[in-house]
Amino acid sequence: MNGLLLVARREIRTRIRTKGFLISLAISASLVVAAAFVPKLFSGPDTYTVGVVGAVPAAVGQVKFTKYPDEAAARKGVTEGDADAALIDDQKVLADGELDRGLGLILESAHREARIKAAGLEITPLRVESMGTGKGVRTGIATLLVLVLFFLLIYSAMYVAMGVVEEKGNRIVEILLTSVRPWELLGGKIVGLGALGLINLGVVIGAGLGASAATGLAADLPPDMAGIVIGAVLWFVLGYAFFSALAAAFGSLVSRQEELNTVLTPMTMLMTLTYLVAYLAAVQPTGTVAHILSLVPPFSSMVMPVRTAAAEVPVGEVALSAALMVVAVVVMLLAGARIYERAVLRTGARVKLTEALRQGGQGLRR
Amino acid sequence: MLEIQELRKRYGDTTALDGVSFAVRPGEMFGFVGANGAGKTTTMRIIMGVLQADSGEVRHSGRALTYEDRRRFGYMPEERGLYQKMKVADQVEYFGRLRGLGQAAARQATGELLERLGLAGRRDDAVEALSLGNQQRVQLAVALVHAPAVLVLDEPFSGLDPLAVDALAGVLKDRAASGVPVIFSSHQLDLVERLCDSVGIISHGWMVASGAVAALREREGRIKVIVRGASPGWADGLPGRVTAEGDRQVLISEGGDDQEILRTAVQAGTVEHFGWQRPTLAEIFREAVA
Repeated sequence: MNGLLLVARREIRTRIRTKGFLISLAISASLVVAAAFVPKLFSGPDTYTVGVVGAVPAAVGQVKFTKYPDEAAARKGVTEGDADAALIDDQKVLADGELDRGLGLILESAHREARIKAAGLEITPLRVESMGTGKGVRTGIATLLVLVLFFLLIYSAMYVAMGVVEEKGNRIVEILLTSVRPWELLGGKIVGLGALGLINLGVVIGAGLGASAATGLAADLPPDMAGIVIGAVLWFVLGYAFFSALAAAFGSLVSRQEELNTVLTPMTMLMTLTYLVAYLAAVQPTGTVAHILSLVPPFSSMVMPVRTAAAEVPVGEVALSAALMVVAVVVMLLAGARIYERAVLRTGARVKLTEALRQGGQGLRR
Repeated sequence: MLEIQELRKRYGDTTALDGVSFAVRPGEMFGFVGANGAGKTTTMRIIMGVLQADSGEVRHSGRALTYEDRRRFGYMPEERGLYQKMKVADQVEYFGRLRGLGQAAARQATGELLERLGLAGRRDDAVEALSLGNQQRVQLAVALVHAPAVLVLDEPFSGLDPLAVDALAGVLKDRAASGVPVIFSSHQLDLVERLCDSVGIISHGWMVASGAVAALREREGRIKVIVRGASPGWADGLPGRVTAEGDRQVLISEGGDDQEILRTAVQAGTVEHFGWQRPTLAEIFREAVA
């Protein structure tokens, strides 16, 4: 166990100072921050300027009234863009082209309210209670989550594979494996790089929440945001454990970094497929595909968190999906460790997967 | 005492080891020589447990080696392995800790070793910034940091300049003097002859000769006689080979009775030279693997 912790500590210390890690951190954080700001750019302005000729109406939220001496001046103001519209003697509204729908509604209801009030009727405004959430925001969060999870999973798993090949390629593994057990070495690597992945995820989530607070988007976030965040972290851990064990197993088959891409192709394809179905689930969270694949490991590691972010999912289903994924992770870790142990000392030509799995290979002497 | 007993290993149709046996006593420096592909690296990897033998056994202190025993060994693999981007001192310390040293002990041992190996000034440099010779010293430091009970070094001297060879040899001799069995392989036979108490010569997977260097030379010794003015055929009754150089006849005899050879030579002509010829290790080696 001590060996595992030493290995994990070295992985963290070595990678955390590298440019690659910092760059990936910056990219994923800015991606999320940008995503929080984008809706703001496309939505309408926050306040309108309305020119007024004659009596100025009572203050209305989101509208700033500017007085003009006469209609001609007001017309000029609107055409030149100084005002979004002009209210003439509380009778008519001038607009440049079509009147902004939002503004029209505001002016209309303000107008009515003032008349009704003048007639001696007091209206209590409608009380609005937020149920959380627009579907749009949820889908947005889910889509973003897909991207972040995919990016972090593939990035972390790649690092595991590269680390395995580095040690195998320069034979340092021979010294390592006479110092620590194979499971300590592999486990330490997976734990250490996983911790970095979690740091990265934490930064992304922090940046996302911070940015949505800054842009006022936070009010639109679903009420169970905390649950979504915790879920994302837990699913990341499961997905990472699965894919990193796979990456280690494949990585241990080759001795050179140049061969790594080829040997990892099945893994990257599986991850890309998982990404695609998860993306689909973000857009259609209630569809049959999303429903089924959110239960099937390893797809569930991305589809389920995305589904829960995009729509409500029964707790029982989440539990079942998590249980299945845990089983898959355990199986993958055992198989991965076995392949790793048998293949990592066999340098030179690429080791065939079937050879590595077969009993009684050239493996380590116990 | 480290005992290697009847190791056998096949790779498909190729026999890598065909019953390799030898023993290294505490404090003994054992030089392992042989042509490329003779089985040195395979033997050493089996000793270290990174390769499994088909049959045979490696024993230390009278019992079969376990993983825990091997953790206390020091190992330098044939192909050097270091983390290229890790700092020298961090790296040596890390391996010390992996082999069970506490932090303070690992740090202290690292400091002492780097000093001894002339790397104290490079302790904070990344390994990749070092020359190959210096990287080799780091590799040795990694093998030595945990005060190993046995040293197994595959070609520790290859590619080193004479100064580095001396530094390394000094360290190894010290370790051997403290009672550690040291096995190292090398192609530099003069070096092996100079450093080692005993040697093993391996050829095509089996030990063609092994033992104390002095005894091997003795055993392989020959008598050389130079006689002037002898008539051809003077040595017909003697074992060995006669060559003529002008009016001198030279007899190289293996395993004959020295007194009888001398008597025959004196009767045949003027004896200019009579003496034992001790072959160098290189000669023994060539003979043995031929």
